[in-house]
Formats: sequence, structure tokens, C-alpha cells
Amino acid sequence: MLIGLILALIAGSLVSLQNIFNTKVNEHTGSWSTTTLVLGMGFIASLLMGLIMEGKNMFTLQHMQPWYWFSGMIGVGVVICLVQATRLLGPTYAISIVLTSQLGFALLWDSLGWLGLTKVAFSFNQLIGVLVIVGGILVFKLGGAREPQRDSTTGKPQQALNLK
Amino acid sequence: MKGIIFAFIGGACITLQGVANARISQDIGTWQAATITQFTGFVMALMILLFVRDAKKQGFKQVKPLYLFGGALAAFVIFSEVTAIQDIGVTLTISALLIAQLCLTFLIDIKGWFGVMKQKMRLPQFIGIGMMIAGVVILKF
Repeated sequence: MLIGLILALIAGSLVSLQNIFNTKVNEHTGSWSTTTLVLGMGFIASLLMGLIMEGKNMFTLQHMQPWYWFSGMIGVGVVICLVQATRLLGPTYAISIVLTSQLGFALLWDSLGWLGLTKVAFSFNQLIGVLVIVGGILVFKLGGAREPQRDSTTGKPQQALNLK
Repeated sequence: MKGIIFAFIGGACITLQGVANARISQDIGTWQAATITQFTGFVMALMILLFVRDAKKQGFKQVKPLYLFGGALAAFVIFSEVTAIQDIGVTLTISALLIAQLCLTFLIDIKGWFGVMKQKMRLPQFIGIGMMIAGVVILKF
């Protein structure tokens, strides 16, 4: 229980870092160049980690089902949707909806137990919990615009990493 | 409206990705699942890239090398997420993941780390994080 929670927190922190790094790459290239690089890097890192942790076992793919090969394309769908949503709605609204949808579907999958995952019985507590979290996301994202700090002398947004 | 639908489907796909990875890991192992899904995603993105050709080849040289390796973090994201889903279920995993993600982004924004534009944080952001943590507590108890 505690291990799962800690791993989820680690995953979230890494996602945050990755988003920032990917945005930096995206600023200089295009969204597909970035996506290709990001997935390529992920592939190499996963392969290396697998070889370190499991050695030759890495290549014994038991019970491999054909659809496993195609699951990676979901990631491409994510990129298309996020790029379009951000373009049409702006990042704040787009991300608010993305996060809400992520949680809603998580609850749906748990209660349906699709794809052979352990079913987590739907409870009223879970629904309230998810609604409070969604409320938190909306307050965080939409409540009071977070403006960049402005330089008091020039009125221009202050560059970060400006060491003073 | 179109934007809302894209955002909605995008969120569904992110969760689906975690669930599919968890399922595949049960059969072939977690690192194997991460390797295969990243590989097929990479091939597909590469094909789209060759088709749309949005690459500015010079662009990559202007990026600080560290940032080019951001994608490698995905290996550890997938491993942690899959193990968490198998341990505590999808809802709790995604909830905790999002809280950590928003908190760290929040901290980086305040501090202006990695050259991001420094942002002032107001009360709503603190209330929002408080509500999200309260939500996880309600989820679990």
C-alpha cells in the first residue's frame, strides 16, 4: 500500500520534470520532432534498464498478445489530442480538462475492472474523493490568474534564473 | 467544443496508457512492456514526422543537452506507475501521481528552476492542492 503510493508520487514528480524538459525541446523544434525524440529516448532507457535488471530474460516474451504491439500508439493519440486541445483552448483550460478526464476514467476502469486488472469496488467515498480532487484541480488552475512576476522598474516579465 | 473533446479524449488516453501498460506487464514483465510500448510509439511518431516534416534540424542543437534526455524518464515513470496500479489500483495511483506532478510543477514555477518564467502563487493554488490531498484522504478512508 505505502510502496504503491510512494511509487505513484515518484512517477508524478518525474512526469512534471519530463513535461518541462519536453517543453524546452518543443520550443526549438516541432511537436512531432519532440514526440519522436521523447519516445525514442524512453525506448532506449527502458531497454537498458530491462537488460540491467533482467539480463537475457528481457527477450523472452511469454504470453505475448498481438495487441500489445499496438498499445504504444495510444501515446501518439495523447500527443495529437493535447496539442490540438492546447491550441484551441489554451494550456490552462486544456490541462484542467485533461486532468479531470484522467481521474474520471481512472475511477471508471477501477470499478469496471477492464483488461483483467483487479476490480476495485465502486464506492460513494471514491466518487466524493474524486470530485474533491477535481474541485482542487479547477481551483488550482482557474482560480486567480497566476501572472508572471513583473520587474518593477521595466514592467517586463522577469526572466527566471536571473540570479538576484 | 472541439478543444474540449480533444482534451477529454487526451485525458482518457493517458489513463488508458497506464492501464494497458499494467495489463501487459502482468504477462511479459514491466521493463518489457515499457520497451515495447515506447518502441511502437516511437516508430509511429517517426512515420508521422517523416510525413509532416516539422523538424527544424538546427533546433535540436539549440536545446540544452540535458533536456534532450527528458524522454528517458519515461522508463521510470512507466515502471513506477505500473507497479503502483498493481498495488493500489488505478484511481489512487492517478490521484497521487497528479498531486505530485502539480506540486513539483508549482514549486518549479515559484523558484523559476530550469529557466521557466517565475510565477507568483496565490491563495487559490494552495487551496487547490489542499483540496486534492483531502480528496485522496477521502478516497482511501
